[in-house]
Amino acid sequence: MELNFCAVVPSHNHHLALPGVVAALRAHGLLVLIIDDGSAEPAASAIAALDDPAHGVEVMRLAVNGGKGAAVLAGARLARERGFTHAVQVDADGQHDPGALAALLAAAAAHPDCLISGQPRYDGSMPLGRRIGRWITHVWVFIETLSFRITDSMCGFRVYPLEPLLRLTEDEAVGLGMDFDTDVMVRLFWRGTLPVMVPVAVIYPPGNISNFRMWKDNLRISKMHTRLVLVMLARLLLGGMPASGHWAGMAERGALWGLRLVAACYRLLGRRGCMAVLAPVVLYFFLTGTAQRRASRAYLGRVWRRQPGGLGQSFAHFLDFAGRALDVLAAWSGGIAPTALESADPAGLERMAADPRGALLIVSHHGNAELARALMAPSLRQRLTILVHTRHAENYNRIVAGFNPAVAARMIQVTEIGPDTAIRLKECIERGEWVAIAGDRVPVLSAGRVARVPFLGAAAAFSQGPYILAALLGCPVHLLFCTRGAGRRWCLALEPFAERIDLPRIGRGQALAAYAAAYAARLEAQCRAAPLQWYNFFDFWAEDAV
Amino acid sequence: MKRLIISALKLEDLSPEEIASDEPLFGESGLGLDSIDALELGVALRKTFGIKIETVSEEVRGHFASIRALAAFIRSQPQESAS
Repeated sequence: MELNFCAVVPSHNHHLALPGVVAALRAHGLLVLIIDDGSAEPAASAIAALDDPAHGVEVMRLAVNGGKGAAVLAGARLARERGFTHAVQVDADGQHDPGALAALLAAAAAHPDCLISGQPRYDGSMPLGRRIGRWITHVWVFIETLSFRITDSMCGFRVYPLEPLLRLTEDEAVGLGMDFDTDVMVRLFWRGTLPVMVPVAVIYPPGNISNFRMWKDNLRISKMHTRLVLVMLARLLLGGMPASGHWAGMAERGALWGLRLVAACYRLLGRRGCMAVLAPVVLYFFLTGTAQRRASRAYLGRVWRRQPGGLGQSFAHFLDFAGRALDVLAAWSGGIAPTALESADPAGLERMAADPRGALLIVSHHGNAELARALMAPSLRQRLTILVHTRHAENYNRIVAGFNPAVAARMIQVTEIGPDTAIRLKECIERGEWVAIAGDRVPVLSAGRVARVPFLGAAAAFSQGPYILAALLGCPVHLLFCTRGAGRRWCLALEPFAERIDLPRIGRGQALAAYAAAYAARLEAQCRAAPLQWYNFFDFWAEDAV
Repeated sequence: MKRLIISALKLEDLSPEEIASDEPLFGESGLGLDSIDALELGVALRKTFGIKIETVSEEVRGHFASIRALAAFIRSQPQESAS
């Protein structure tokens, strides 16, 4: 790739130092794009007067002040249109020492896929308030990236690779004000665009009027950090860092770090302590997740036969969900002893273990089947193959494998059962494996193939997929439930469901509905026994919940 | 082909002679097979002729319309060694 540099200078009411900044950039032969971010007079006229395309200086004016981030992005898009691969970002107020330009450009040429950022060396002229603010930001960024690579996230003297920057801002909403520099740097880090830091001298010129507003911008920056930390925690706890494209490996390493961190916390603080730390995070999702909250209350109302469940109970439901994720991590990391898992029917489990035939296991979003998988005897775990319907689950499993290879599971990703998948699964069964499939989520294998059967007092759509699959595989079917009891103990129940499922040609629909109804009845009993342990946070009874 | 369908779908009460080559296999008229039968038939074809069928799509449905269409479909497929 041929590298092509230009400069983007966002300015809001800064014009006194601007000619000097432009001259320094021109001295390096860079095309200078000045973005006038809705400046007022006299700055607006002074900035407009610098427009001189013949000599490599162009001014683009945004009529309305959109914030520093908005201005930089406008410049970055313009630069990309002009065919540039990289853009130098410099503040217009002259606080950046142009002497560092050569070093920044050299670093960018050496690391074209990285974000080159100035690492400020302040000369003591920085006001105390901003100094404290910067320090707080440093600490936040360490937490958000679980890394010390970003040694300064607020310096506006940078070289951006334009492609990753613009792709990020097209995919995700980033802060467009003074929070832009940090927000973008952390999110680019998550995506695998690593920073390279170059020391630069920074001065706060006397008489300079900063656009930084003490309260408003500090509040904005605090909000951004809260958002970044919550996004990171959510991604860690609820299914790994979202992984796609080239940064998957990076994100997985980050998630691995997160797992280790949570495991360490679990050992250090215990479950109760961890839950106390998690509670504010859960509260955030409780308050912002209106649809999930409504679904949780409607479900609890059905379980307790009154409408709808109270807010406190619903929050407890949310907390239980977070606790479940925590328990899984603890089980993987050795924080929970295998003896914490008891069998509801040890003799039955032994019989099943001794039976060399393969079987289909129908699992649920009730309780903690993942924990059961982590704690069950290795000889049983090795027989498991889990059907999942997203690549996401596979990524998650890979992260788990990196954390503790012993508990990783064989997974097959399927969205629909076609002949090839059926044959593959049949081979699994013939080898004596146990194929696990969820019975209380519709999308798996059977979009459109549902039976509406009674569940907690009203008809709900249940997938026919597991029973169709069982008929194709011609093997015994069991239900697997794992419920958390008092005192951090779990109870694993493997119930025989059908020795074999045959679907008569006539009345096939009714036969499928009968199996779905039998499963729904068992699930209902589990939900009534442990109401907070069913984790489907969407309207399960909706007509179109397919 | 008729024997394959009878054994794969457990239609033991039918004899090959009772199935006409252009009789519709699916739907109300004809044999009245359904999508689960289509899946089982796909599995049987995969095993007997080594034909790869990822999903039972609309296009595949067309090939499954009758014995004649099915035979033409199988002949048109590059065959792996039957497994």
